[in-house]
Amino acid sequence: MNEPSRKLSVWTGFAASTGRVFSLFFARGRKARRTKVLFAFSFLPVVVSLMLRFHHVLSESRSFDGAYYFSNIIMVFYLNLIVLILALFYGTSVCSEEVEGRTLSYLLTRPLPRPTIVLGKSLAAVLLIAEMVGVSLLFSFLALNFGHLSPVACSRLLKYGGVLFLGVLSYSAFFVFLGSALKRSIFFGLLFSFGWENIVQYFPGSTQRLTIIHYLKSFLPEASSGRFSFLTFRLEATRPLPALLILTLVTAGFLALACLVFSKKEYLYED
Amino acid sequence: MTTVIETVKLSKWYGSVLGLSDVSLKIEPGIVGLLGPNGAGKSTFLKLVTGLLKPSLGSVSVFGEKIIGNYRLFARIGFCPEQDSFYDEMTGWEFLTGLMRLHGYSAAESRRRATHALETVELTKDRDRMIRAYSRGMRQRLKFAQAIAHDPDLMIMDEPLSGLDPLTKRKLIRLIKNFKAEGKTVVVSSHILPEIEALTQTIILIHQGKVFAQGDIHVIRDLIESHPHLISIKCDDPRRLASHFLRAPDVLKIHFGSDGRSLLLETNNRDQFFGRLTAVLAEGRFAVEEITSPDDNLQAVFDYLIEK
Repeated sequence: MNEPSRKLSVWTGFAASTGRVFSLFFARGRKARRTKVLFAFSFLPVVVSLMLRFHHVLSESRSFDGAYYFSNIIMVFYLNLIVLILALFYGTSVCSEEVEGRTLSYLLTRPLPRPTIVLGKSLAAVLLIAEMVGVSLLFSFLALNFGHLSPVACSRLLKYGGVLFLGVLSYSAFFVFLGSALKRSIFFGLLFSFGWENIVQYFPGSTQRLTIIHYLKSFLPEASSGRFSFLTFRLEATRPLPALLILTLVTAGFLALACLVFSKKEYLYED
Repeated sequence: MTTVIETVKLSKWYGSVLGLSDVSLKIEPGIVGLLGPNGAGKSTFLKLVTGLLKPSLGSVSVFGEKIIGNYRLFARIGFCPEQDSFYDEMTGWEFLTGLMRLHGYSAAESRRRATHALETVELTKDRDRMIRAYSRGMRQRLKFAQAIAHDPDLMIMDEPLSGLDPLTKRKLIRLIKNFKAEGKTVVVSSHILPEIEALTQTIILIHQGKVFAQGDIHVIRDLIESHPHLISIKCDDPRRLASHFLRAPDVLKIHFGSDGRSLLLETNNRDQFFGRLTAVLAEGRFAVEEITSPDDNLQAVFDYLIEK
C-alpha cells in the first residue's frame, strides 16, 4: 500500500471507529433517565412562552410582540441557562461517567484509538443536546409567534437556532475537556458557567472577549431593547466571520486537548 | 513454547504507595493462576498487562508487542474486570452487541457473536432484561461473556469467580479449561487457593507487590502445608481433650480459651493432627460443638512464608 492510500485508510479507520462509538452512546443516551430529566428541563422556556401567551390572551391587550419576547427568551433562557446546563452535564460526563461508573475498562480494552472514544461520545452528546434544544426552541417559537408566522420570523428562528448550535458545540467541547482533565469537573463547570461566563460578559472593554458567550451574542441580529436589554449589553461586538472562526477554534482546540488528555492520562477508580 | 506475556522489571507506584515491584516473568499459553491476598498487587499487574495502567518502570509486551498505545492488540485480548460495573440502562443484549460493534464487526456479525457468548454463559433467556435487574452471578457471567465474545487468544480475568454460586463457578471453570484446550492463554487472578487449584497447576504467588513464588502448584502446596495451622475446638471438657495431644509430635502449642469451653491448638501437620483428633472423637467421650481454623486464609500463609 502506498503512502497516500495508507494515510487514507488510517483516517477512514479513525472515522469508522468514531462512528461506532457515536452510535453506541447516542442510542444509550436517548434511553437514559438523565436525558428524560434534562429534556423536561429544556422545556422551561416553552412553559414561560406559553405563560406569556396566556397572559396576553387573558389580559386582552392588543399588542403582543412575539419576536421581542422570543429574542429575550433566547438570551435569558437558552444562551445563559439551557445550553450551558445541558453542555455542562453531557460534556463533563463524556469522560468522567466512565471513571465514576467504573466502565472505562470496557472501552479501553477494545481495538479503538483512544481519541475516537472522546470524539464519538462528544458527537453523541452534541446531537442529543441539539435535539433537545431544537425541539424546545421550535415550541417556544410557535407559542410566541403563533398567528404571526412570517418568512422573517422563520429566518430569525433559523438564525437563532444556528447560534444556539454553535453554543452547544463550543461549550460541549470545553466541558468535555474539563471532564477529561479534572476530578470535580461539574463544580468547576458550574463556576465557569455562572461565574465566568455570566459575569465577565458584562465587563466593558476587551475582557468580555475572553468569554464564549461574547462571540455567540455577536451573531444576534440586534441588541434587544426594553427591560432585558442589559442581557445583550456589549461594547464591541465581534464581526460574524471572526466570531465564527474563534468559536470553531475553541471547539476544535478543546476537543483536541480532551483527546490528548484522555490518551495520556491514567484514570484510576476511587476505592 | 511461545511467550504470550513478558514483563521486564515491571514496577508501579501510586504516588508513594507501591503497587508492584520489579516483576520479570514470562507467561506461556495455557492457564496461569495469579494468587495473592487482597491488595497484593494482582489487579495492578493485570491492569499493567492490559495497558490500563502505565508502568512506573520496566516494560510489558503481549504477543511480542508493546501494549501501551497499541490498541490493535485488543482484537486478540479479552479482559474481564474485577469491578461489578456496567452501563445499567442497557440490556445484556445491547451491552454485548454494542461492545462487539466497537470491535468493528458488522451488525449481523455482532449479533451472532453476542448470541453465541450469551449461550456460552447461559444468559440467553435473560438477554433482554436490564442489566440493573441482573443478579450478582448473572452480572459476573455477562462480564465473562463480553471478554470472550470476540474469540480472543488471550483472556485476562480479574477475580472472575468471585460472588458466584458453586454451580455457576463450576461451569465457568469448565469454560476456562476449554479455552486452554483450544490453545489459548488465560490469566486468572484470585485470592482463594482452591479456586485457582481447580483451574490450573501453574501459579504465580504475588504478595506486597512482589512475585513471591512461581511455578507448579504442588511446590506451593508443600510450602503451605508446612505452615503451622491454628485449630480451635469448642467442647464440653477442653482440658481433658487437651491431654490427648500433650505428647503428640505434630502439636506445637495448646492454649485454653477464657470461656472454659474452648481449646486452641497449633499444629505443623494438619493431616496427622486431624487423623488423631478423629480417632479421639470417635470414642464418643467428648461433646464437640465446633471445630474451626482461624488462620486458614491466604494472608496467614503468606505472612508465615515471608517470615520463613
